[in-house]
Amino acid sequence: MTIKITQLCKTYNQDTDFPVHAVDHLDLEIAQGEFVAVMGPSGSGKTTLLNMLGGIDSPTSGKVCIDDKNIIELQEKDRIAYRRDNIGFIFQDYSLLPVLTALENVEFVMQLQGHSEAECRQRATDLLIKVGLADHLHKVPAKLSGGQQQRVAVARALAPSPKFVMADEPTANLDAKSTAELLDIMQQLNEQEGTTFIFSTHDPRVIGRAKRVIVFEDGKKTDDKQIEQKHSGEIKQ
Amino acid sequence: MLIKLAWRNLWRNKLRTSIVLGAVVFGLMGVTLMVGFMNGMVDNMLSNAINWQTSHLQIHQKSYADDPDINKTIVQGQELAKQFNSLPEIKAWTSRHLAQGMIASARSTRGVTILGIDINSEVNITPIATNIIDGQWFGIKGRNPILVSSKTAQRLKLRVGSKVVLTFTNVSGDVAGAAFRVLGIFKTPASAFDDNHVFVRKDDLKKLSGLNGDHQIALLVKNDTQLQSIKSKIKQQLSTENIIQDWGEIQPMLATMTASMGSSNLIILVIFVVAMGFGIVNILLMSVFERTREFGVLMAVGMQKSKILALILLESTFLGLVGGLLGVIASWSLLSVLQKTGLPLTGMAEGLGAMGIDSLLYPQVSSSDYLLTFSTVVLASFLAGLYPARQILKQRPVDAMAEKH
Repeated sequence: MTIKITQLCKTYNQDTDFPVHAVDHLDLEIAQGEFVAVMGPSGSGKTTLLNMLGGIDSPTSGKVCIDDKNIIELQEKDRIAYRRDNIGFIFQDYSLLPVLTALENVEFVMQLQGHSEAECRQRATDLLIKVGLADHLHKVPAKLSGGQQQRVAVARALAPSPKFVMADEPTANLDAKSTAELLDIMQQLNEQEGTTFIFSTHDPRVIGRAKRVIVFEDGKKTDDKQIEQKHSGEIKQ
Repeated sequence: MLIKLAWRNLWRNKLRTSIVLGAVVFGLMGVTLMVGFMNGMVDNMLSNAINWQTSHLQIHQKSYADDPDINKTIVQGQELAKQFNSLPEIKAWTSRHLAQGMIASARSTRGVTILGIDINSEVNITPIATNIIDGQWFGIKGRNPILVSSKTAQRLKLRVGSKVVLTFTNVSGDVAGAAFRVLGIFKTPASAFDDNHVFVRKDDLKKLSGLNGDHQIALLVKNDTQLQSIKSKIKQQLSTENIIQDWGEIQPMLATMTASMGSSNLIILVIFVVAMGFGIVNILLMSVFERTREFGVLMAVGMQKSKILALILLESTFLGLVGGLLGVIASWSLLSVLQKTGLPLTGMAEGLGAMGIDSLLYPQVSSSDYLLTFSTVVLASFLAGLYPARQILKQRPVDAMAEKH
């Protein structure tokens, strides 16, 4: 499964004298199993790009094709269903439902897919154990640390078995230890389950773990490099 | 999960939810009390009117109501009365001999309707015998005893044992009169009735009027839901010169009031529900807007808009369900107490008495009233969720997620 972006543009304030080109005629291809970091300064268009890749924002022009299916052209209902089944999201502020426990937060997205309660419970438990939260299944987000909440968010993103996970600055609110642990988990899931991770970040700790780094500036791709990983934190071009 | 989520969302801000619920509960108690008060008032007015004045059915000579001439007695009244004993639907009946006349004491004179009653059967129709506040009920002994109301006694300066003179036009058109002695003083809930009615024994009055017929037959039925069918049944046996009327025809104003009770209660309920609905819309708008980003995230992770709509509507419906249920329980508890103790309205006794209403009112709320109130509150809450839901659903996930709430 491949994401192929063709001449993608997103322009804000289009009808004014000061249009802002958040994404400017971008061509990009991301294959299944990649661990990609999109880096760039604030306002460079990273989040806008991820939103369009995830199908939660519409471009001004261009295509976002996943296996030759242009998700931009999908009806809203179909696009929501497509996101539900194929794309996982991890947000900077975790965005967990505060009234549900860690387990319920993960189960919830699977239930949206129509899985049985037992199935949801089993997979959600497995995922939370996998991200190191076996002792925190029944805690609400307010009772968890930031790092733990982000791990729940990772488990939630992976619960529907998505093809791609879009992570928008997932480590921005985490300390060094939590960041390292979270990246270990995501890297492991990427390697073991072949899930594609696409990060928007300017955190060098994340960039250090990426297998591919796309540099973004003023809505344009200025660099795109494959990185051979030797071990955590040490990169070789 | 959607139900669980909606229920927990409802209690995210406990203080806010409690304030709304408090408003719903107290509003509902107010509405129920108001409805109960109105129902109780009309029920009381109706039961007093039936007990004291109209009974369920009355038979007269056809033109007696327009022109209460003493000669206008019921045609074949004796034969008709005999048939009532064989009708199992009839609880009790009595016949009365009436005269329009004057009552005079040493101090004053007043115009009155003289009710010549059968002392044995009258007690089965009106509770007069048990409402003697001074003196006693008729016996077979004694010459020309009379019962006057406390109001008449006050006006004519009478007490038990006082002598009065009754005068009226007899069958020949002459003025007939006789002295009566006050045997007892009664008080009914209707001051207007008390003002112009006195009771005497039928035989005493017949002797004076020189007429052997009756002017009025009053009937009570066992089951008032069968009133119209019994009325038709009696009507078939009735001479064309007589007329049978139910209480609604005798007192049309009372019938109109009873019939319009449902509408007036509904108006009270609608006013409350609309006000409550706006309150719920306001609270839900706050609750939903402060979670705009959360709804954006839900859309992003694949929750269909129909499910988000269902979530918001569930939250608003839960609010109505909980508020309605607590309100009904609180109202029921309050009314259970008031139905035992009554609601004393002594300050309004005179005005209520003029309408034939007791000054101690017992609010009446039927289970159908509770059900209607509860259902309306739940429905209004459900509808109140539509506008806030619409405000959220028209947003794109990316815009909703950009909200800083």
